[in-house]
Amino acid sequence: MSAKFLIAGDQAISVQFGETICMETNRQVMMLHHNLQEYPHPGILETVPSYSSLMVHYHPEIVGCQTMKTLLAERISQMKEAAAAMATVTEIPVLYGGEYGMDLEACARQENISTEELIRIHAGHDYYIYMLGFAPGHPYTARFAEPFTYKRLATPRAWLVGGSVVIVENLSNILPFDQPCGWNSIGHTPVKLCDYQKEFPFLLKAGEWIRFIPVDEKEYQAIKKQADQGQYQVRRYQKEMESKAVK
Amino acid sequence: MGILFHKGGMLTTVQDEGRFGYQQYGVSPAGPMDVRSFKLGNLLVGNRLSESALEVTVVGPEICFKEANVIAITGADLCPQINGAEIPNYQAVLVQKDDVLSFGGRRSGMRAYIAFAGGLDVPVVMGSKATLIRSSLGGAWGRAIKDGDDLPFCAPKTFLPNLSRRRLPPERFFANEIVLRVIPGPQEDSFTLQGIRHFFWDGAKISSEFDRMGCRLECSPIEHRGDGSIITDGVAFGSVQVPPSGQPIIMLADRQSTGGYPKIGTVASVDLPLLAQAMPGYRLRFVQVSIETAQMLYCRQLNYLKDVQRSFTPHIGQQLEQWRPKIEGY
Repeated sequence: MSAKFLIAGDQAISVQFGETICMETNRQVMMLHHNLQEYPHPGILETVPSYSSLMVHYHPEIVGCQTMKTLLAERISQMKEAAAAMATVTEIPVLYGGEYGMDLEACARQENISTEELIRIHAGHDYYIYMLGFAPGHPYTARFAEPFTYKRLATPRAWLVGGSVVIVENLSNILPFDQPCGWNSIGHTPVKLCDYQKEFPFLLKAGEWIRFIPVDEKEYQAIKKQADQGQYQVRRYQKEMESKAVK
Repeated sequence: MGILFHKGGMLTTVQDEGRFGYQQYGVSPAGPMDVRSFKLGNLLVGNRLSESALEVTVVGPEICFKEANVIAITGADLCPQINGAEIPNYQAVLVQKDDVLSFGGRRSGMRAYIAFAGGLDVPVVMGSKATLIRSSLGGAWGRAIKDGDDLPFCAPKTFLPNLSRRRLPPERFFANEIVLRVIPGPQEDSFTLQGIRHFFWDGAKISSEFDRMGCRLECSPIEHRGDGSIITDGVAFGSVQVPPSGQPIIMLADRQSTGGYPKIGTVASVDLPLLAQAMPGYRLRFVQVSIETAQMLYCRQLNYLKDVQRSFTPHIGQQLEQWRPKIEGY
């Protein structure tokens, strides 16, 4: 396992495991991230995983740059993948189409399929979360099968409501908060990805998976009511890590 | 009790050292723009370095004290006054009940810090009192202070040991042109040699797009080797991102935790206060510095802060000695 250490100023170092977006690389990033969380070092302030590198923010008065490199290299050499790695999947209920999924029909037309077929494909497999960023709780997910090639909207919408489920090309995502967005909105989840009322506000973590579950208007309203009161519990389960199957 | 804001000022926020540990979930750390002035303010009023204080921008607030407390104002010189009479910056001042603190106008710098003995009593969100306006998070109601707001103190004091000795020489902030030391990387190889030379030799001008999130610079474009994008990775305080346009952006306190533009360098921590106190239109020049030098400068600054703290509180000097930073190799 090789890594490059890139200097990101006098209080951070970026550990780069590769130069492609792929799960193998991201898994190494997550392994070092978890290693440093499980066995914390007093000189390390926090670590931030991204697609192919881990940003380590540290205290130079405790650990200088050279020592930090040595320390990280040691940790990397000690990392071992758990034999049967399990992965967490979180189910995200989605009401497809309707008020917030205004692009569903256009997307189906573009692919020359029915909206039912589009929903079946979109909700038909798990999505890996590479990282969180941009806004609190905002996931960067990827899909590995590539049946879709949706185009970005020519003019981004000035405002998409938080909870929108959006797609572009072969990617799908959920917006935790209202934001401008150039992606196609095909549905909405009542589940909150970030709820500051909660002790731990974030629903998802980097390295986990999500799966979209279609729900009807009635279920949606029921879940929304619970979610708004902070009562709704998402369904989570463990699955065996898919490794070689993915591109 | 505490303080009542007759006027909120241009952009007044509650900040502490910052919210750390949550960048992995996409939460910006926030915290003070000028960390040094912020910490000196806290030291002057006998607080720990990370205690909550107010960050004031250019046009200060008008604050009525509902109870007495010791305060200190550091950073930009905005002509602070108590009941219309000027008070010095960088000095602990005992303020009485019903006194009014106002600001006469900007003399130098951009951001001042008002530290209160004991700090401000606002909710701790994810381990921090820092305001992150973009996410409506932390501080006072997750937003800038407005006219009519009031904030309670945590533990106000009417007495501090050595009160009259709690003063420091005010820092001078230079106008028009400032020099920032920059550590190259993490993606200096994303730029042509020409581009790197241009960055270090010609400098840039601070544009009007300069806020707590970042400082956008104006210069003739810095040349990329590739298309000006990278696989999104981590961002640090002071990261100099260069988007495809070739116009750099220096990432500051409210920076996003990650970014997809190559970073030509990172401003040395000790020089970030100079940028935080600069105005749009100022010229910036960049001087390359090694990581070792930048870390040594940072450790010296920490030692200076510890020395200041010790000078105010000689009787706890021994306690402090134990956590004086160890500097490797110096």
